[in-house]
Amino acid sequence: MRSKFDEQLNLLNRKMIEMGAECESIIARAAKALLDGNVNDARAAKEQGHRIDQLEREIEGICLKLLLRQQPVATDLRVISAALKMITDMERIGDQAEDIAEIIIFLDGRTCESCQEIRLMAESTIGMVTDSIDAYVNQDLELAKAVAVRDDIVDEAFVRVKQSLIEMISKNIADGEYALDLLMIAKYFERIGDHAVNIAEWVAFSVAGIHNIYKGE
Amino acid sequence: MSKKIFRSIITVAMVVLIASLFIASSFLYDYFNKTQVEQLKGELSIVADNVNKVGIEYFDNFDSSIFRYTLIDVDGSVLYDSQADIEKMDNHLEREEVVEALKDGSGSSARYSKTLTERTFYEAIRLENGQILRISVSQVTFQTLVVAMFPVICAIIFISIIVAFLLSDQMTKSIIKPLNELNLEDPTENETYEELTPVLTKINKQHKKIVGQMHELKQKNDEFEQITDSMNEGLVLLDEKGFIININNSAKKLFDTDDFIVGYDFLVLDRSAKMRQAIKKAFDGKQSEFREERNGNEYQFFINRTESEGKTVGIVILCLDVTETAFAERNRKEFTANVSHELKTPLQSIIGSAELLENGLVKAEDTNKFVKNIKKEATRLVALINDIIDLSQLDEDSKVVIEEEVDLYDIANEVFEMLTLSAAKKQVQLNLNGEPCVMKGVHRYLYEIIYNLCDNAIRYNKEGGSVTVDLKNEGDSIVLSVTDTGIGIPSAHHSRIFERFYRVDKSHSKETGGTGLGLSIVKNAVVYHGGTIKLESTVGKGTTITVTF
Repeated sequence: MRSKFDEQLNLLNRKMIEMGAECESIIARAAKALLDGNVNDARAAKEQGHRIDQLEREIEGICLKLLLRQQPVATDLRVISAALKMITDMERIGDQAEDIAEIIIFLDGRTCESCQEIRLMAESTIGMVTDSIDAYVNQDLELAKAVAVRDDIVDEAFVRVKQSLIEMISKNIADGEYALDLLMIAKYFERIGDHAVNIAEWVAFSVAGIHNIYKGE
Repeated sequence: MSKKIFRSIITVAMVVLIASLFIASSFLYDYFNKTQVEQLKGELSIVADNVNKVGIEYFDNFDSSIFRYTLIDVDGSVLYDSQADIEKMDNHLEREEVVEALKDGSGSSARYSKTLTERTFYEAIRLENGQILRISVSQVTFQTLVVAMFPVICAIIFISIIVAFLLSDQMTKSIIKPLNELNLEDPTENETYEELTPVLTKINKQHKKIVGQMHELKQKNDEFEQITDSMNEGLVLLDEKGFIININNSAKKLFDTDDFIVGYDFLVLDRSAKMRQAIKKAFDGKQSEFREERNGNEYQFFINRTESEGKTVGIVILCLDVTETAFAERNRKEFTANVSHELKTPLQSIIGSAELLENGLVKAEDTNKFVKNIKKEATRLVALINDIIDLSQLDEDSKVVIEEEVDLYDIANEVFEMLTLSAAKKQVQLNLNGEPCVMKGVHRYLYEIIYNLCDNAIRYNKEGGSVTVDLKNEGDSIVLSVTDTGIGIPSAHHSRIFERFYRVDKSHSKETGGTGLGLSIVKNAVVYHGGTIKLESTVGKGTTITVTF
């Protein structure tokens, strides 16, 4: 009975890592598509979104089965409930990366050579997602805490992107739509960063049982 | 075991009990009956004598509680009975013992009572007057005895159960205790009962075998670990579920992990899409390999299935660092592309001129110009090929060259002689400062170094500029520096100008000539002599290249 339980927990862990890896690669792809103006990459990223949705369903099923049939307690219960919450955030990351890809397809290969800040945002959010997944994989509380701190960098970058886009619009009204698209992309990256923080918080919860990882700092 | 012993003890007890009952019933009971009958006979003859003498009156004062006496008349009617009322008794003429007594003078019989609980023995004798005197005694039957003994038998059974239980318990303990306390490391040294000795000998044999096998296994394992740990390639072994069984040092370094990772899912170490796909493929039985970047290096991963008896028992992941190979590959590709391009350009020019000449499209007075052009391009080709040959010789490790004592000052003079013409063309002044510097080296390579440096200094100089070669002995080393007052090299290109065919300004190359291999040859030749090369340059002011041997 117990070994079956362990087997299912292992399966859950494996699927979670897989889903995390998919999330990492989808935003990396979306960011690359944006910076290179590569529409094909953007299309591939959209395709990948389906796989993430499918993984969410699978993991949900595993979690519910575990809860129903094994009645887990203590750490196991924390791990499973945290997993249930984390997949929601991961699925949102996938969705937002898909949205970014859609805008890139709409822009049809127009690169954002001028927006150094968006590049920085993309790099930071990719780093945050990678770190939050790493924190989950290695059950690393310190790394989870570090993710939350990095969110500030992304937030600041978003403010700067906004300002530079305002400037861009005021200089060239005709390019207003493009500027707004870029703003949306920046906002999506900012949201992805927030989801990464959520994942990190759930990792902290499953490892140490604490909710607010800023506390005690 | 305790149960088995218990059962056997109980069985033995029961068998003994039943056997003793049987013996009692068959032998003892019969024996007692016989003596009883004898006693009856004796008693009867005494009483009969008395009755013969005294008559029926004998019974008047007779008192007998053990035996019952009956006097029967000739017609069968009862005259006297010591225990029953004679009025109620019927005719006794038909009784077996009476019939016998009437006939033979004496008779005997035994009869069961109606309930079978008693057995009565009868002895009869014919008196002198023809009457029959009968004596009888009642005895309980064996069955009644058994019934009477039932509580006792139960008690015996009960006690034997308890005793059996205690005995079996104790016996089991005494059997098991030495077994439990067996020293399996050294089975023959145990103090046990002798029945165990064959088992212990067997265990001892087995033990020795196991120790031998364990030793062998450990040795193999150690061997395996030493081999894998000293491997440059990373090696990870996974079990059939994808958990890590073994990871060697190189792989630990590559995946930045430690020994604790053994027993974890491999996904924890690496979750890249390519890796996941390759492992999945390997589980399906297909070998796969892929290249991917890790920690800034390029690795080639080979993923393979290990199987035993047709079943997948694990996965082997082999990681090769192919950074250098990949770099060399890229370099070779680039070099090949460059060489073919560089070789093609002069050849096309030669073919073009030759075709024009062949078709007679060139005026007679221009012919010379075209031939000159062909010669010029052919010379360039030869120079280029010479350069490539030099480079490939420098590249080869197993080169056969003569090292000798060479004076760099002399070489510099030789070079200046060669370059006087081209320097004069560009109106560049050549200066040689310094002292004789003697070193051990290959004359041709050292000549190439100074020649190429000076050639470049002149080629990329301004009109009226100068090229200065300085030669100094500094302690054990020799410092050679070539300074020009030329166009200089932008700092972005500093790291690349020693690459083959690299040109700072691609459009300039045709004008200034040169093969693009000069500095590459210089660098290789300097490296061959164990020297270092340093570049200082300011755009528009000039360049100084310093070589230290």
